[in-house]
This record gives sequence, C-alpha cells and structure tokens, in this order.
Amino acid sequence: MEQKKILHLVDDTTAGGVMRMLDHLLAQSDLSETVDQKVLKVKRTAFSWGKLNADVIVSHVVPSWRSLPAFSALRAMHLDTRLVHVEHSYTRAFTTLNVPHKRRFFAMLRVIYSFFDQVVAVSHSQSGWMKERRLAASEKLTVIPPTVDLEQLSRNTMPPKSKTTIGAIGRLEQQKGFDILIQGFRLTRTPGARLLIFGEGSQRLYLETLAEGDPRIEFRGHAEDPAEAYQAVDIVAIPSRWEAYGLVLDEALAAKRNVIASKVDGLRDREGDTRVSFCNLDPYDWRLAINNFLLSNTIEKSS
Amino acid sequence: MPTASIVVPAYNAEATLAETLASLQAQTYDDFEIIIVDDGSQDATSEIARAHQGDTRVRLVGQANRGLAGARNTGIAAARGKLVGLCDADDLWMPEKLAAHIHHLKAEPDVGVSYSGSALIDEAGCMMGIKQAPRLKNVTAAHVLNRNPIGNGSAAVIRKTVLEALAYRPSFETERDWVFDETFRQSEDIECWMRLMLKTDWQIEGVPGLLTHYRINAGGLSAALDRQLEAWERMVAKLRPLNPEFFARHEPSSRAYQLRYLARRAITNLDRDKAWELFARSVQESLRPVFEEPVKTFSTFAAALVLKTFGPGPITRLGQMKSKLQSI
Repeated sequence: MEQKKILHLVDDTTAGGVMRMLDHLLAQSDLSETVDQKVLKVKRTAFSWGKLNADVIVSHVVPSWRSLPAFSALRAMHLDTRLVHVEHSYTRAFTTLNVPHKRRFFAMLRVIYSFFDQVVAVSHSQSGWMKERRLAASEKLTVIPPTVDLEQLSRNTMPPKSKTTIGAIGRLEQQKGFDILIQGFRLTRTPGARLLIFGEGSQRLYLETLAEGDPRIEFRGHAEDPAEAYQAVDIVAIPSRWEAYGLVLDEALAAKRNVIASKVDGLRDREGDTRVSFCNLDPYDWRLAINNFLLSNTIEKSS
Repeated sequence: MPTASIVVPAYNAEATLAETLASLQAQTYDDFEIIIVDDGSQDATSEIARAHQGDTRVRLVGQANRGLAGARNTGIAAARGKLVGLCDADDLWMPEKLAAHIHHLKAEPDVGVSYSGSALIDEAGCMMGIKQAPRLKNVTAAHVLNRNPIGNGSAAVIRKTVLEALAYRPSFETERDWVFDETFRQSEDIECWMRLMLKTDWQIEGVPGLLTHYRINAGGLSAALDRQLEAWERMVAKLRPLNPEFFARHEPSSRAYQLRYLARRAITNLDRDKAWELFARSVQESLRPVFEEPVKTFSTFAAALVLKTFGPGPITRLGQMKSKLQSI
C-alpha cells in the first residue's frame, strides 16, 4: 500500500506544547507504515508558503490578519489537497481578555477557517465556543485532544504522602494566572502550608514582589525533570486565565496529583472528574479551595 | 413564550410607575412581558402594579427589600424571554425602543447587549435639554471603564444567554442566581458591564437615537458622592485580578473621568469645596479627559472655579437662564 504524505505546518514561534504533541505523534511506530509525516517550519507573515507536496496538509499555524495572505495562498495552491487546521491558541477566555475588537477578530477566524476542509479543536469546550460563535460549520469541526508521552512521568512519581504543599508548574506569564494563586495563597494563614512555583518567564519579578514577605512561597525556577517537580508537591494548582487544552492537567494526573484548576476553556473538559476541583479567577475563591485542601489534611489526621 | 422580557425594579415608585408602565405598554413591538419587581415598597407601588395586571403581559413579583441589584436579579430570574430589557420604575422607553434593539440583536449575532442613548428628564418629567449620546460602535473594555456607554439602568436590552454567562451564586444565596452584585449599592451597573467585558467574549453595541428618558433627581448630598467614589474603587479592586495589565493601563484615566463626573455632580449641588477638590483630583489622576474631551473638561473647570471664587450666585443664575431659554 502506498504511504500517504502528511505535512504538518508549524510557526517559527510555535509553543512548546505543540512541538511536544507533534514529536509524540511522529514517534507512533504503528502509523509509520501507512503514513509519512513531516514537519515544516513556516513564517506566519510570509505571503505564501509555496507549492507543497503532500496528500494532507495540517496547519498548526496561529491565525491572524497578517497570516491571512499565506492561508489564502495555501488554499489557492492546493485545491485538491485535504487541508486541516488545528487550533492550538484561540479560546473564549483568550478572546475575552486579549481582543479589544471581538467582532473583527471573529471575522478573521471565520475567513481563515473557511479555507480548510476540517478544523480541529483541542478540547470540547473550545469546540463548543467555535460552534456558538459560528467560527466554523459544525460538520467541519472535530475534537482531538493532544496527547504526549506521560509514561515516564507516571513511572517516576509516587502518590503524595501529605497535604501541605501546593505546586504550580508553567511559564511565569500572565496567561498562567500565578498572580491570582499567590494572592489567594497569601490569604491562607496555615503556617505549615507551602507553595512551590516551577518555571521561568517575564512575570518573575512581579510575582516575586507579590510573594514578598511570605516565607511559605518558593520560586524553584525551571524544572529539568518534571517528575521531580510533581514529586515535591501534594496538589497541583492551574490558575490559568485561558488554556486551549492544558497539558499540565494531564501531567499532574499522570503524576498522581489532584488538581485545583480555574474554570476556563479546555480545563473545563475535566468537569466531573473527582480528582479535579474548580475555582473562579478570584483570589478569595482560591483561598477557599486551598483552605479546603489543607483542612482535609487535619480532618484525616484527627479521624 | 414571549420574545422579550422587560424587568422593572420598583421601590417606592408610586409617583412614576404608572407613567413608566404606560411607556412600556406602548411599545410598537408587542411580543413581550413586563415583570414588575416590587422590592418591598411601603407606598402604593404594589397597588399601581396590580392595577396594570389587566394587561396579560404584565406580571408582578414581590419580595422583601433587597436593593436595586437584588430587584433586577429577581426579575431576570423570572424572565421567560430570550431577550431581557431593564427599565427602572422612574424612567421611560420611547415607543420604538424595544423594536430597535430586537432588530439590532437579530442582525448582529456577536452582539450580546444592545443599548441606546438617553434624554434626561427632571422630577416633573420635563426634558432638561441634556442628552447621553454614547459611543455606539467598536466599544472596548477601556471605553466601558472610562465612559460607560450603557449610561444608565434603563438603556440596555440583553440576551438571556449573556445573563446566564454572567450569573453566579454566592454560597449564602438560597433563592436564585446573581447577575448584578447585590453587595453594591452604587456602581452596580458598571460592575456588571465591566465583568461582562472581562469575563465573556460578547460584544456590546448601541443603536442610534435617544430611546430612553432617564430621570434625574435633583439634590443629593456630598456624602453620597464620597460613597459613590468608594463603590467605584471597590468595583475596580474586585475586578482587577481578572486582568491586572488592563487595569494598570486604564485605571488612572478612568478614575479621572469618574472624579470629573462627581465634580460636575458637586457643582449641581452647589458644593464649592467638594467640586473644586474633586476636579483637582481628577486632573492630578490623569490628563486624558483634558485631551479626549477638552470642552467638557474645561467647562467643568470653569464652573468649579466660578463657584469657588464667586459662590453659588452666578451658577444658579446661569441655570435659571438656561431653563428659561428652554421653556420659550
């Protein structure tokens, strides 16, 4: 049987999560007999990405007005090729917080998605938003949550033994909402509680100022081995302001940690999972959730 | 099921409720219900409301006093329409208002809240010659924080889905959800609209025309101005965690606009020290209002200065002259 050629287009600036997902996908040995997958880096702002030789082209490129020419050229030059777009970036909460002129933005997405034969949402919440905002026809929409290799993480972690340490793992950027977590944690008074923050980013100084004077909060920097980071904490906090999917939630569960997550976007796909509890983007809500967690510790001890 | 529900929160509104209801019953678009929420009135409000129930479109809900936000929330919870309009029990809707908003919301599926400008009326129902003519298109969160285009509590018609997205239930609430935050006695409107801009991806947009007659009650104490500023600051503090970068960028200019607005109120109250103090604080906070609205800012400055230097005489005479001119 002839191999089908699949070409994945990624941005120069593609986020780490997307590359991890692609690495995992390309490493699937059971696929390699039937498909030949390649990754091509493209420039988002180029006028065209040229004529590409593939049976299926999968775009992981971030849509924007500036990438509109390249997307339309892609369709024009590949009329008989199946074009698939995977939306890794945009969500309801992203739009709410980052897009001042929402209608113009929705118009841009509708035009770009219309070039594709299929649009892939990475979570059910994201797909629900796309349908509600009529960004893509529902018969074109599919949900495919990204997967990465979590086996090593699962092998190298033991279940938590206590209930004192809250962990946050991710880039120190506005999106991740660690400012809300720090403010919420500071409102708790339990002396034995701790908050460990793993990661680096542009908000580090700001977050350190927020944490100043509370010795229970520690910045641990980038974690070379994620398993070690998860092993060091008893519960994982994900206070993200927006999150198309949220691989960190899968990681935390694979590392046998329960999770407190903000109730936005892709994170909501886990609603109903007893290992995950949800919070609004409000420091007082986080205080309550953290206190509940710390308190469950003392109750178990006394019983 | 009616297409639209119009929620009328009413507290001791016997003087104006009948006129308000008449303006709603006279809407040219007629597939709607009116929900009067009697918020524990001690006057004839409930009798007047009951007298209107001959019109099958009118429903009456009573409750112990919960305040304006609480009355609106009760009305919203009872609303059966896909669209919900708000009209306070002392304001009036022009006959074509509901039709204009329904047409607008049907044509623009990304718009969640449709509003219009307003003409101001006094206690006797006379036009004051002052209008609220807000920005109608391309409204961003910054516009809402600075100059709240929705303007007053009787200007907006809102999709039910938007209200559902805004609804939450505090742990101590047993009856129904909150859309407006009932812990606010002032600034409950702007708190709700800012939350809409920072927590949902709905667009808000206005339609042309002054389709509401918004009643201004004369008088008012300077202490009330302080409380209003306090409520505004509490709104900012409550919503800041949602998007700290946004507030860092826009807080000074919006506080300056808020202070200028309160200075104008103090001028109307002929409170010379308060007016001057509020205006001075506004300019110290940010010069954006000076550049963005020079005429209004300068007239506020001039009036505050005249009031401070010559006392209330000239301002009062100017006001009398203006009303004489209008009555001619």
